[in-house]
Amino acid sequence: MEFTEKHVEGLKELLYKMADDLLIIGHRNSEWTGLGPMLEEDIAFSSMAQDKVGQSLALFELLHELGESDPDTVAFTRNDNQFHCSQLVELPIGEYDFSMVRHFFFDHAEAIRFEMLADSVFEPLSMVARKFKGEIKYHTMHADIFMKKLAAGGEESFSRMQNSINETFGLALGMFEPGNFEAKLIEAGIFGGEAELQQRWLDKVVPLLESFGYVVPKVENTEAAFGGRHGVHTPHLQPLLDEMTEVFSIDPGADW
Amino acid sequence: MIVKSLDPRIERAALDDESKIGELNVHEHFETYEVFQQVKRGTHHQHVGNVHAPNAEMAMLFAKEQYCRRGAAVNLWVVATSNVFVTEYVDADIFETTEDKLYRDPNSYKVMDRINAFKARTSKV
Amino acid sequence: MYGNAYIENDGNKVNSILADEDPIKLAEFEARIAAGDKIEPKDWMPKEYRKQLVRMIEQHAHSEIIGSLPEGTWITRAPGFRRKLALMAKVQDEVGHAQLLYSAAETLGKSREDMTNDLINGKSKYSNVFNYPAPTWADSAVIAWLIDAGAIVNQLANSKGSYGPYCRALDRICAEESFHLKYGHDNVVFLATGTPVQRAMVQEALNRWWEPIMHFFGPPDKASQHSEILMRWKVKMGSNDSMRQTFLNMYVPKIWDLGLTLPDPNLRKNEETGQWEYTEPNWETFKQVINGNGPCNKERLAVRRMAEENGRWVRKALMNKDAVYATPLA
Repeated sequence: MEFTEKHVEGLKELLYKMADDLLIIGHRNSEWTGLGPMLEEDIAFSSMAQDKVGQSLALFELLHELGESDPDTVAFTRNDNQFHCSQLVELPIGEYDFSMVRHFFFDHAEAIRFEMLADSVFEPLSMVARKFKGEIKYHTMHADIFMKKLAAGGEESFSRMQNSINETFGLALGMFEPGNFEAKLIEAGIFGGEAELQQRWLDKVVPLLESFGYVVPKVENTEAAFGGRHGVHTPHLQPLLDEMTEVFSIDPGADW
Repeated sequence: MIVKSLDPRIERAALDDESKIGELNVHEHFETYEVFQQVKRGTHHQHVGNVHAPNAEMAMLFAKEQYCRRGAAVNLWVVATSNVFVTEYVDADIFETTEDKLYRDPNSYKVMDRINAFKARTSKV
Repeated sequence: MYGNAYIENDGNKVNSILADEDPIKLAEFEARIAAGDKIEPKDWMPKEYRKQLVRMIEQHAHSEIIGSLPEGTWITRAPGFRRKLALMAKVQDEVGHAQLLYSAAETLGKSREDMTNDLINGKSKYSNVFNYPAPTWADSAVIAWLIDAGAIVNQLANSKGSYGPYCRALDRICAEESFHLKYGHDNVVFLATGTPVQRAMVQEALNRWWEPIMHFFGPPDKASQHSEILMRWKVKMGSNDSMRQTFLNMYVPKIWDLGLTLPDPNLRKNEETGQWEYTEPNWETFKQVINGNGPCNKERLAVRRMAEENGRWVRKALMNKDAVYATPLA
């Protein structure tokens, strides 16, 4: 099937939201480096943050090949309303319970998204999706083991984790905010769409969390934090970007 | 006083520079697991160090990033340090081999002289 | 990242250090070291050897975990993907080095918890340089290049020392530090060859860091019988001055090569002696900083307290009631 302009636009929209999600969550999680709850976990969490930023770079490179500016310019010169990340990823790291729950929700969604994209007819994207399979597998493995152990780790730990799940669930649903070209992407075989992704994600994370002993909020009773995909963000994103780009913007034309 | 930090992460945390925390308890950072890494299939697993972890599963998670984050591994073993039986260095003499164990050495078996002598002897007949 | 050990002579005469050691075991021990053999954790060792090694490896471990903080200052602000990823990996490596070194020290009988307590209570020392702030991006570049370079000089020497677990940790650490050095050099070169603003930034950072770098290897050596013994036991592998010379010899030309200057008009190589001449840095400042009065001492320890305290509920939740504890093997 020939790609029309709409297909390319939809593809770019997809790549932007994925790349932005990965950059911002990688940035946030890197804030834990050197400050983690124990040395070994500090190292593991930092590696995963690096993986996320690396994955986002790969996607920005695809965008560059599709005619967008180079990755550094795109990542380091936009304002919050030009970002397409979900609101989930832009929130401050909070305490370890929140960071862990976000990591669990996000990484399972990413794992399934990349699994779906491994069959994309857009070859460069399916190649990227396959390339990071191992990294993402470790990330979900890490998240699952922690979620399980922290559920069984006594009252304080359980209630911290359960509260974080309650507070984060709607934000997590925001990841699946439909784009403007869902039907086009599905029809062309580029991507199976946010609705299918959300369903597969729920089928995965709900039974898993329940098996650890958590109670998962009902989708129908939860308001999904939409807006991020269309440039509507929480007040946390712009300060994050100001910080991230502080040095780069001293002279965006310079070689750093 | 609140710490005035150049690190935005620390600045956000608004730390008190006179804060006190309780001492860490004994074993608060868990027991240790010894880590054995196999670099590629067909090679032996080799000891590379240890990690502190609350169980074997997490020891695996931690060992993977602490010892293999620059690639080069296909398999890991983690073993609780307390489960490793160790010989003492004062007993290192049990490993010494003496020269009278030549019967274990393939080079100590030299039969060509005997074969040649035998051939010489039998060909004369 | 670690300079040289701040070995404090407790004023003991050598005779009293060795007074109650078994002379036969001591002779065997010293013969093993003289033969280039390594000492392993459960070997017999003089009390002073154990004490000084614990102190040194522990200081080194603290220097890694505290050393992740000055550069960590810039972890959320690194310009561009390449720098962002590399700085994250670099700071992460420092945490990894702390892990390796705490484990090496543990083999001598001091637990990670005890070492951490001594750090956050201010009882243990760590490298003085990490008590200085990194006010600009260029400071992080100078640290990554020159502090890591200094650390490599020290660590390569120490990796030839006598204690097996420390040597093994250092082998791994040196391999990783060579990435830091390359990254740091690359970073400084980009700034030094970049726009006037970038160039000024790196020159200012260099001016700020020169004295701490000169302090990094420790005060000039005073000949003492104590340090003679530690050299014989291959605990201390080089004099502070000789390491400083090695560093100057390797890096000053590279700095000058970039057209950067160093804030010491007397700095030059004496071609006759082959030695570098320089203005002694202010050792009173050094003493002040190591005793807690540097610009960031309080912050550094407050951050470690925060990290330990915030992690406490996580560790408590993960605690395994059936765990059996044993000293790390190697």
